[in-house]
Amino acid sequence: MAYSQKVLDHYNNPRNVGSLDKSDPNVGTGMVGAPECGDVMKLQVKVNPQTGIIEDAKFKTFGCGSAIASSSLATEMLKGKTVEEALAIKNTELVNELSLPPVKVHCSILAEDAIKAAIADYKRKQAAREAVVAQAQ
Amino acid sequence: MEQPPCWQCNKKYTGLFCAHCNALQCPVDDYYSVFGMERKLSLDVQALQAKFYELSRLLHPDRFTRRSPLERQYSLEASSLLNKGYRVLRNPVQRAEYVLKKEGFDIGEQGTKDVPPELLEEVFELNMALEELKMGDQQARGAVEEARQRFAAMRDEIDRELEQLFQQWDEKHERATLQQIRGLLNRRRYIHNLVTEVENVATLSN
Ligand code: FES
Ligand SMILES: [Zn+2]
Repeated sequence: MAYSQKVLDHYNNPRNVGSLDKSDPNVGTGMVGAPECGDVMKLQVKVNPQTGIIEDAKFKTFGCGSAIASSSLATEMLKGKTVEEALAIKNTELVNELSLPPVKVHCSILAEDAIKAAIADYKRKQAAREAVVAQAQ
Repeated sequence: MEQPPCWQCNKKYTGLFCAHCNALQCPVDDYYSVFGMERKLSLDVQALQAKFYELSRLLHPDRFTRRSPLERQYSLEASSLLNKGYRVLRNPVQRAEYVLKKEGFDIGEQGTKDVPPELLEEVFELNMALEELKMGDQQARGAVEEARQRFAAMRDEIDRELEQLFQQWDEKHERATLQQIRGLLNRRRYIHNLVTEVENVATLSN
């Protein structure tokens, strides 16, 4: 499989590899997998609760080069976006940016799923916290 | 599946060879029908093998050198279906994937569905430990070995469950069963890849 220049760049120098504190209420964690190949991806966002802006994003992917590149690129795109803007990111943007061939589309879907899962997790935590605050009042 | 009448004698028949004039027919693009078998998930691999040898003999190109070009073409197509079909049908996992496809289940592009999140977590953790081991952290070895055993046991358990579901589908032909089978196959894929990966690393670093 010939990878595009951009995929190779992200693959060789992945941005934002690592992890954030899962128990931090401002961190959302998404863990997803692709049943086609058995690859797994974890993506995390840290949101500023005052502004709703994503201040940091990290990922760790065990999978093919395209999945690594997709998640690396996704974390770059996430930083500075609001939660709602992040939800609007589509896998097709990743496909275009990285020039992924059709057989590698599922790798980019994995990254989109990971973003969605991370944000859903963040929202869940926020809702739980608000519930606690409301109860205390 | 209704077959057209025999191209040579125009009589009705079922199977690869016409029952009346013995002419080879245009093979139907289905592994089960090349083997002349019903679409069943549980299957006797020994019987499959016997059938494979028998049909390989009957379809051997040498038997068709003096037949019509049409039959020569059919024999080529049938042999290639036979060989591919044998490879797929003798393996329970590939067989089930094939049946799912034929029954209209799309394996690709279904996202994370069907797989419990705890399993993904576990797969992820083992991958982490494996990476540490690859980087030379010998302390990870124990954790990896322990996880390998747990995953191998999970895979065996899934295989047992699959066998039961295979029988269930063969008896009742319910789509819900196929759905369950697909879920199990997805889980199995994560586990299987990982076990193989661990085994590779283990042999490398031994
Ligand atoms: S091949 Fe599985 S994520 Fe790319
Ligand atoms: Zn005939």
